[in-house]
Amino acid sequence: MPARSIWNGAIALGAVTVPIKVFGATEDQQIRFREVHLPDGAPVAHVLVDPTKDDAEVDRDDVVKGYEVKEGEWVELTDDEVKAADQPKRKAIELEEFVPRADIDPVYYDKPYNLAPQAGAEDGYALLAEAMDRTERVGIGRVVLRTKEQLVALRVTDGLIRMHTLHARDEVVAGKDLKVPRPKKKPARREIDMAGALVEQLSGDFQPGRYKDTYRDRVMKLVDAKAKGKEPKLARPKEPEATDDLLAALEASVKAGKK
Amino acid sequence: MARPLWRGSLSFGLVNVPVALLPATKDLDVHFHQLSKKTNARLEIRRICTKENTEVDYDELGHGYETDGGKQVVLTDEELDAVAPDKTRTIDIEQFVDVCDIDPVFFDSSYFLVPDEQGEGPTRAYHLLVEAMRDQRRAAIGRFVLRTKEHLAAIRVRDDLLMVTTMRFADEVRDPKDLPLPDGRKHKPSDDEIDNAVALLEELSGGFDPKHLTDRHRDRLLKIIKRKQEGETIKAPAAPETPKAVPNLLEALERSLQDVRGREKAGSRG
Repeated sequence: MPARSIWNGAIALGAVTVPIKVFGATEDQQIRFREVHLPDGAPVAHVLVDPTKDDAEVDRDDVVKGYEVKEGEWVELTDDEVKAADQPKRKAIELEEFVPRADIDPVYYDKPYNLAPQAGAEDGYALLAEAMDRTERVGIGRVVLRTKEQLVALRVTDGLIRMHTLHARDEVVAGKDLKVPRPKKKPARREIDMAGALVEQLSGDFQPGRYKDTYRDRVMKLVDAKAKGKEPKLARPKEPEATDDLLAALEASVKAGKK
Repeated sequence: MARPLWRGSLSFGLVNVPVALLPATKDLDVHFHQLSKKTNARLEIRRICTKENTEVDYDELGHGYETDGGKQVVLTDEELDAVAPDKTRTIDIEQFVDVCDIDPVFFDSSYFLVPDEQGEGPTRAYHLLVEAMRDQRRAAIGRFVLRTKEHLAAIRVRDDLLMVTTMRFADEVRDPKDLPLPDGRKHKPSDDEIDNAVALLEELSGGFDPKHLTDRHRDRLLKIIKRKQEGETIKAPAAPETPKAVPNLLEALERSLQDVRGREKAGSRG
């Protein structure tokens, strides 16, 4: 089945405009369960109720979207009114600046999308991809998708331009705001060296295909066993023990790795 | 400490460090609630058993799976946890890679991993890992089960702490082969076009500064809400137009370059 685009617009860089279509870049492979009520196995429904009416079910037609401005006071808002917030001049990903690829910390990346050129825009798309590839840079810009302006990064991989929505700066938690205990004694040089040796031993290239989700298969096996009426044995996790003698554990790890 | 989403052990060779998982991002979007037109009350969602028509308690929730034969198999949380028991308690570091080698399409959500025990031993082991990984600018690849899903994870140092970013498995990233991407031979840019495009990118280049990542939508939406509250009528904007492809790429690039350089000269950039 050919993929269906979720948004049409253009990439805009100065006077250059490249019409594109946006597609999902990921597909969830998780096994889909539905919620059931354990005692009777009946499906569980999510029902919208009015707590001031003795939890009476509410008809969808009687529901409005609202924002609580202060306690007990609401402002209702329709999608069209939400759209009035941003009002883009054109349907475009407006590129504002370019930054080195490696500069963006992974914490900023939110959702990825694939971009493909609309008919007639192939030359512009190929050129933009080539320029970003040669400079090893990522384009940062903004675009209004549906009803909300998003911060995005455009990045090229093998001729494909992907768009990543980004978290705003104030949505990223700073480590200094977490109260993390510090050790009284700093790690000794020998411990750092030994840990470094172990890191070195385990270093290699990232090959995404190497990692398979084995959990999914195991869940399917469990489903099959239960479908045949077998009761599964509940294995309990081994409780990992915190390491006591750090240096000894490191030395033993490095030694084990050398074999 | 905020309530951890997960607690367990980070295992590096034979070294085990008790850790807790805390979110590294927060949702600051303006959220709406569902209200009743009739009573103006804020509505709530209840989980109702479709057979007994009563509210279902959280610990009476199971996971139903319909087999190809149309039979329903029900799994409990305990059974799902028992599928890969050790992975529900341990993040096992399998490899170290260069973080720049990971395409961000794999990244999902980020969390801080913090020491989960106050004792000197565990805290030292934790900070030793921070030291060892800071030196090398590397990411550790491991995996663990969070709620009922196995996650591949990249762990690296940020803000002097360990941060874990969950990652998608390779088969969860769509193969772009079905997309109408330009054929490299038919749509090869000319040298002139590339030179100008690269020059334009260079003109617009700088270091990454998170200060530029401001959410303008949030403030604008709050203003709309205020206007509405004061009784103003908010009209839907006209649908914006999609720009057409420029007829002459080289000409458009040259024009853009002139414009950017002109702005620079006028000293109005930034």
